[in-house]
Amino acid sequence: MSHDDHATHHVNYLAIFFVLCGCTALSVVFDVLHMPKPVTIVLVLAVACAKAMCVMMYFMHLKFEGNWKYVLLAPTTILSIGLPLALFPDIGRSYYISVAPQTGVWAPEISDFESHEASHAEVPAAEAEAAPAE
Amino acid sequence: MSHTAAPPALKMGIPIPNSKLGLWLFLGTEIMFFTAFIGSYIVLRLGSQGWPVDPKDTHINVLLGGVNTFVLIVSSYLVVVAHEAMAQKNFGKARTYLTGTMILAFLFLGIKSVEYLGKIQHDIVPGHIAETPTQAISKVSREMEVVVRKRFREYTDGGAVVTERPNDIVNVVNLIAAIPDGKPPEGMPDYVFREYQATAPGDLELFRKWMNLHQHIVANVSLTVPALPAEYLAARESLKQGDKFPELKYEEVKDLLKEMKANEQYGSYVSAGVFDPHPIVYGNIFASCYFLMTGFHAIHVIVGMILFAVVLKQGSGLDEKWTDFLENSGLYWHFVDLVWIFLFPMLYII
Repeated sequence: MSHDDHATHHVNYLAIFFVLCGCTALSVVFDVLHMPKPVTIVLVLAVACAKAMCVMMYFMHLKFEGNWKYVLLAPTTILSIGLPLALFPDIGRSYYISVAPQTGVWAPEISDFESHEASHAEVPAAEAEAAPAE
Repeated sequence: MSHTAAPPALKMGIPIPNSKLGLWLFLGTEIMFFTAFIGSYIVLRLGSQGWPVDPKDTHINVLLGGVNTFVLIVSSYLVVVAHEAMAQKNFGKARTYLTGTMILAFLFLGIKSVEYLGKIQHDIVPGHIAETPTQAISKVSREMEVVVRKRFREYTDGGAVVTERPNDIVNVVNLIAAIPDGKPPEGMPDYVFREYQATAPGDLELFRKWMNLHQHIVANVSLTVPALPAEYLAARESLKQGDKFPELKYEEVKDLLKEMKANEQYGSYVSAGVFDPHPIVYGNIFASCYFLMTGFHAIHVIVGMILFAVVLKQGSGLDEKWTDFLENSGLYWHFVDLVWIFLFPMLYII
């Protein structure tokens, strides 16, 4: 029954496939471009949403399904969004003073280690700058 | 009455097959299942004061992740055209497309295995990652102890030492090393005994180095401070009033480990058993999130492969009865692709 329904809708699946491939390449390009982190996050997640829409609408045929899709998917979508929102104030926002041992108890030790690592990381950069002068 | 045709069965509910309705309800629960992971990951990441993002720390390979994304997209495309071929009653073509999907699914799992192996080889495993220099020092000592115990077990397992007490084992190995013309214990071939004599000095040095490190960790003093009791007491006597020995630093242990790994006699054992102790702040929670999400996704890939295998098993007997089954399996597969579409940017790019 359902396959007969779908046979009436002619979708250019190859075009959708190329759009998905292009979007994947775009995600990697956004990563390589080294833009400010929030901009990269927004762009990459926007591309992911676009890809998800393509897959759901055309590959999963939701574009051609009846209104039952809203009845079926609305509750799970609300619950899915609700979970992170419910967790966010308690864990994500950290409105209390954090006493995470990694950054609390050992904070001076970690900052010593990071400054040591950074001073070692600077050596190749300094060498690279010196190289053209030679 | 009996000649009257029965009225068509009343179809209740929504106008799709029950199997498809069931599958969509299942996918609804699956959406909540994965968003619980993804939502928790987002919340944990936002709530943490740090997060490992350097590929040198996480051993995340964007290229492999990108290739896997491409592989899943191609496989999704092949499933949709396989279903289309089934709808057109072109079952041979549908089988060919499905075979391609199966091959790509194996490829996806193969690439994932390579990624997992890379992480396991660097001990990027939940609960194993040192998050501070102090934890890194302890980790080196713990792993070195395992290496030492393994080396000395060779002597007890081989029959050179018939005691289980660690101190006695060390004493006997000391004797083996100290007496070049010593006689093998009864029942032990001479060449085995000579092999023990060759390895004993290196193993003893390995043991002393570890014991020295262990003592410095317990006392939390720099490796420059002598560990032997008499020398230690003399050094303490020479300290000015109120002065303390310098504390043990991660860099010292890192240098010691580098030196030990370069040693000809026992370096290979240390290299094989002691990981790079580089501290990664919030590395364990990162590893937990990574393995939980990608692991469950991989399980879903395997389930999808089983569904396709059932269809492929029909061989030339594949007919229109399987169209709905393939459509539902395809919907499941697209969902697996959908999850990866979000996992790729969140774990590999952001």
